[in-house]
Amino acid sequence: MVGDDFGFYIDPQRCIGCRACVGACAECGTHKGRPMIHLDEIDRLVSTQTTPTVCMHCEDPICAQVCPSDAIKRSEDGVVHSSQKPRCIGCQNCELSCPFGVPIVFSGLEQMMKCDLCYDRTSEGHKPMCATVCPSQALLFVPKHQISAMRQNQPLNEFTIGTLKVRTRTALMVPDPGLPLHLDAALLMVGGGF
Amino acid sequence: MRLLDQLDLEPRPLIRAALSTAALGALVALGSRGGRWLDPALLGYLLATLFACFGVSYRYWSWLERPATDMYFQDTLRRFLSPRVLLTLPKLMLLALDQIFLQRFIEKRSVKRWGAHALIAWGCLLGFSVTIPLVFGWVRFTSAGLDPNRYEAWLFGFPAGSFPLGSPVAFITFHILDLAAFMVIAGCTLAFIRRLHDEGDAATQRFDLDLLPLLVLIAVSVTGLLLTVSEKWLGGRNFTTIAFMHELTVIVMLLSLPFGKLFHIVQRPAQLGVTLYKADGEAEGRLPCKGCGALFIRANQRRDLEVLFKRLDLDGARHSPSVHHLDLCPKCKRRLMALAQNQRLGGSFDPFHDVPIYAEPVADPTTFRS
Repeated sequence: MVGDDFGFYIDPQRCIGCRACVGACAECGTHKGRPMIHLDEIDRLVSTQTTPTVCMHCEDPICAQVCPSDAIKRSEDGVVHSSQKPRCIGCQNCELSCPFGVPIVFSGLEQMMKCDLCYDRTSEGHKPMCATVCPSQALLFVPKHQISAMRQNQPLNEFTIGTLKVRTRTALMVPDPGLPLHLDAALLMVGGGF
Repeated sequence: MRLLDQLDLEPRPLIRAALSTAALGALVALGSRGGRWLDPALLGYLLATLFACFGVSYRYWSWLERPATDMYFQDTLRRFLSPRVLLTLPKLMLLALDQIFLQRFIEKRSVKRWGAHALIAWGCLLGFSVTIPLVFGWVRFTSAGLDPNRYEAWLFGFPAGSFPLGSPVAFITFHILDLAAFMVIAGCTLAFIRRLHDEGDAATQRFDLDLLPLLVLIAVSVTGLLLTVSEKWLGGRNFTTIAFMHELTVIVMLLSLPFGKLFHIVQRPAQLGVTLYKADGEAEGRLPCKGCGALFIRANQRRDLEVLFKRLDLDGARHSPSVHHLDLCPKCKRRLMALAQNQRLGGSFDPFHDVPIYAEPVADPTTFRS
């Protein structure tokens, strides 16, 4: 059980693209040898900016709703786990439907794996691998009451896509957390990037 | 209806489960020639099997009613109702061999997991293939006429050959369940050892879902083996008590089938339908991401997911009338999050955000020409 008083905070603007998180993630016991964190370049032609993505652990996970084999479960502590091995049939519904592009389906293995907050560590009181090694604190796992003192930006847990609202356990750091963050595909079309 | 609500039961799966159980009951009556070939010693097993059939059917029909499951079920149904099914059959047989019998996808997940799972699965299949026909009265053994040294096998009440006691055929017939028990015990032991040493499983496993089924399977197998021990080496001592314990453990296993981990046995064939669905999608082609243009989603899955999103009341996830969130590849969805944060920050962490760029033409570093 992951303590309810701890929060996971992502801050893409602090990412320096060192890939320490990717290496550390592969050490996690629940998906040994396979990194589940994504480290993406925003637009390599115009910027060196990179962004790390871990699972946002939605309150009502869309990946679980679209899973035909009922293999994706959210535990009481709000952590959405990788698909249950006996049930997963590798259909990729979760991979294609996740609002944040998190799950990975390994074809051949017929299994979906994703960031599960390093459950083997966090359930025993340790930090997730990525947050432990991130040198710029783009990935931060700290008690919730500490975060407001640590950052000028504040955690935001509510996102909108069109009219769909998604609430998450993992938070993104923004200056005005009162307003849900609107994920608008138009940002991708206008030669976005930093 | 109020009672169904109180028990949290759905009427349609309930009716279908009752019909499935009635159909099985009819098959038992038919195969045992009106019950005449049923073995009275196995009636407890029969009742537990019928209950398990009802429970498993109920859960199975409920599972099929989930919108996401229905998406694939309808596709599989269409496939089987079309004449194309004859063309698909050879491929389906090969897939069943690879995914259901050999379970090679588990080998790719982990060889240790596959070894344990294969022993348990094949042991259970072997055990069920012997015991189910016996319990249903479809197969029975008697002395051949007045010859006490020959055994006669009966299939659906018809003679199906005889064999002498002490022959290799008799040895295999009488001890095939012992072999199944050894396989299941070995598989469960390996699974226990793996679960003890795997920190990932240790963190996520649950006693009732992951360990209890292994313990029940071991209990069934050990009590089954004890019957042979009692009969062979103890002169039949305590045979009745052991038989009762064995029956009890088997009934517990059968009654737990609809509720526990072993339900995945009836779920797994769905993987065959999904594999064929994916192959159809590959043949139809992939659609490009509307963010980066990379081909990523199979056309049939894109169509069906949009319908599924509507059924799940998620259809609001549209960026414009022509761009659904499903039209963005996973990488673009991830980039979008950072871009949205950047927009909210007003690009403030880009040190050159407000600096106009008056770049001089840079000499091409790949050439010496000026």
